[in-house]
Amino acid sequence: MTSRTLGQFYPVASPVHALDPRAKILAAAVFVVGLFLVDSTVGLLFVAAALVALVGVSRIPAGTFVRFMRPVLFIIALTVFFQVLFSREGSTLIAWGYFEVHTGGLRLGFFLALRILLLVSSAGLLTATTAPVALADGIEDLLSPLKRVRFPAHEVAMMMTIALRFIPTLGQEAEKIRGAQAARGADFSEGGPLRRARSLVPVLVPLTVGAFRRADELAEAMESRGYRGGEGRTRYRELIFGKGDALALIVTVLILLVGILL
Amino acid sequence: MKLELRDVSYVYAPGTPFEVEALRGVSLVVEQGEVLGIVGGTGSGKSTLVQHMNLLLIPTSGDVLVDNVDARTLKKSDLRRRVGLVFQFPEAALFAPTVEEDVAFAPRQLGLGEAEVRERVIESLRAVGAGELSARSPFALSGGEKRRAAIAGVLAMKPEVLVLDEPTAGLDPATRRELLALILGLRQTGISVVLVSHDLDEVAEVADRICALHEGRVSATGTPAELFYTDPAQAPVTVRVASLLRASKPGIGTPVRFEETLQALRALQGG
Amino acid sequence: MQNPGEGTHRGGSLAVSCQKVSFSYPGSARPALSDVSFELSPGEYVGVVGPNGGGKSTLVRLLNGLLKPVSGRVLVSNHDPATEPFEVRKHLGVLFQNPENGLVAPFVEDDVAFGLENLGVPREEMQSRVAGAIRAVGLAGYERREPDTLSGGEKQRVALAGLLAVEPEILVLDEPTSMLDAAGRREVLEHLHALRSQKTVLHVTHHLEELTGADRILVLNGGELSADLEPERLLSDAELLRENRLMLPVLPRLALELGLPPAKLRTPEELAAAILAAAESGTRAR
Repeated sequence: MTSRTLGQFYPVASPVHALDPRAKILAAAVFVVGLFLVDSTVGLLFVAAALVALVGVSRIPAGTFVRFMRPVLFIIALTVFFQVLFSREGSTLIAWGYFEVHTGGLRLGFFLALRILLLVSSAGLLTATTAPVALADGIEDLLSPLKRVRFPAHEVAMMMTIALRFIPTLGQEAEKIRGAQAARGADFSEGGPLRRARSLVPVLVPLTVGAFRRADELAEAMESRGYRGGEGRTRYRELIFGKGDALALIVTVLILLVGILL
Repeated sequence: MKLELRDVSYVYAPGTPFEVEALRGVSLVVEQGEVLGIVGGTGSGKSTLVQHMNLLLIPTSGDVLVDNVDARTLKKSDLRRRVGLVFQFPEAALFAPTVEEDVAFAPRQLGLGEAEVRERVIESLRAVGAGELSARSPFALSGGEKRRAAIAGVLAMKPEVLVLDEPTAGLDPATRRELLALILGLRQTGISVVLVSHDLDEVAEVADRICALHEGRVSATGTPAELFYTDPAQAPVTVRVASLLRASKPGIGTPVRFEETLQALRALQGG
Repeated sequence: MQNPGEGTHRGGSLAVSCQKVSFSYPGSARPALSDVSFELSPGEYVGVVGPNGGGKSTLVRLLNGLLKPVSGRVLVSNHDPATEPFEVRKHLGVLFQNPENGLVAPFVEDDVAFGLENLGVPREEMQSRVAGAIRAVGLAGYERREPDTLSGGEKQRVALAGLLAVEPEILVLDEPTSMLDAAGRREVLEHLHALRSQKTVLHVTHHLEELTGADRILVLNGGELSADLEPERLLSDAELLRENRLMLPVLPRLALELGLPPAKLRTPEELAAAILAAAESGTRAR
């Protein structure tokens, strides 16, 4: 009964979903870096248009995707607000004593807001089109060269998979504990921030204790099933890096190049 | 207190692709002082239903009435005090450093004075047979002990109706029997009890009336005998045995509880 | 006290043998298991019962090497779990009590594959074994389901499939149905029942009705093996049941009170028939 949270996997068949996760992760990484190199609003708008097209291709409903953005809207509004407030570039639009709004401020605010939106969208698109297991496998693969310098790539990937597996479960558990405490008269909406934080203790303590207990049982189960770290392990899921994936990467780089040049 | 649900429907996540109609037009009454059993398989809506009894969930349509007054007009804290809800596996919500601190939570939330709180803690722990556990850490107790401590935590509010969602789930048979006896004992204090259970044998032993849920709807209500003999295939073992003999020996009647069934069968055997 | 260790040797080497096994948890005054000895022959179906804290869970963990005995020896398919736990786990799989905390992966088929991945099984082989195991527990079509959308019974079946994929000869079931509702319990028992002929099974449980078909039942109380006997004898021994805080389920209880054999009558139909027969023949119960 959970509502779709930020960037949660949206299972539907699309060319983007079918891409190798490694390609998508790399593309997202390149995208993020490239975004910071785009310094014109036109360039950003071009990249934004490309991303919108990509969301369309991924067959994720626009409404769902927009809902992803909601948590970020506050930060965006704040950013725009400060830009507008403190920038003195360009011609003055409004003057109200000390408070002045300049076109430069608006333009910069818009630029920054768009960039944040694009950053979040690319991450959201990655997680929405890539199953958590595939994501973990992709990350493990990309990080595995680091095993040579003793980086625990497999363990990191395993931790991610387990975390992803248990997020909905812990969410349900938290709901249940909240309900149980509410039934005993707990009120989570009353009082100032300090009071509210304290009212969460009857939820956080049992949730945490429960999580540790779960971890114990899970570790026992994993060991019982022959788990002993990454050595000698094979993988059920196959990752095949094909022509389509290489193409996707190239296209991403091209889009960014155009954006940078514009 | 008379607790009533009138034509209650509940929809989870309305307007989203995950929309689910968990309850459809459920009507039932919990009479003063009775033990009402609620039975039904997974997905029947049992847990959703009980959360409406103290308005943890608000009906999408329909009403919840307390002594014929709309429960939505009552103060939330009042309602939750009068209708005490114990979730399934309630020990998951134990959080305080000692059992007595945990049981004290609800009375403190009610704003009672420390002396009264202490008294209630002692009383509730005694009522569940866990008096010696008061200074122990709830996390160091056995499954059965934790369960009792959690129930005491709700009893400390002195509710008029105690709603228990699968109170014996996960316990070994000996502890289950003790807990059921306890619940029956609570009746002496005048509390009404709503018992949600998937274990028909258990429900048969304690319920005055039963309400059967199926896919969010009430499929039957009545006394255990009425309900179980109408459909003996989905009935406690006692009823299944007795109903098989009714064809040839109608004099056996409609026993439901263990003792009465045993008497009836003995009489049959002896004749 | 019954003579422990009596079992029918159905030929060949033993599946499991415990010789005077003792174990204490660190910091605990009294031992969790003391001097427990018993044997399991291949193909046997043996139950383990007893009060909580009596040592049942400890025994399970000694058998698969999660714990090492303080004294005595455990042998599983001729390997010692204390020194070769990884090897033993290929031959002995454990189904735990909590259906939630045994599932590792975000999808059913990935979870079923987990054991095979740990063993380093090649991918092509894994795919057919996973598919076979999922079919064996009746969950074909569930491959891409996420654990939190499954019922308790379904989760346990996924866990069971995960064990079966590894193809162990021995299955240890640690109260596999105690957290399930009636429907879930039925589902899981149905599939466990189907495995009886193919595996050696050690079934720890509180529900005596699950053991009416067992070859024999071990009773663990206070860390000691207090009895090793056939279901029929256990169900008829009121003293033994009481000593070990064992409850007879309703059906055998009725049978016993009516002077009829509790282990032979397993369904309401059988009991009803027996009662009628007794009434017809006019024999008064003892």
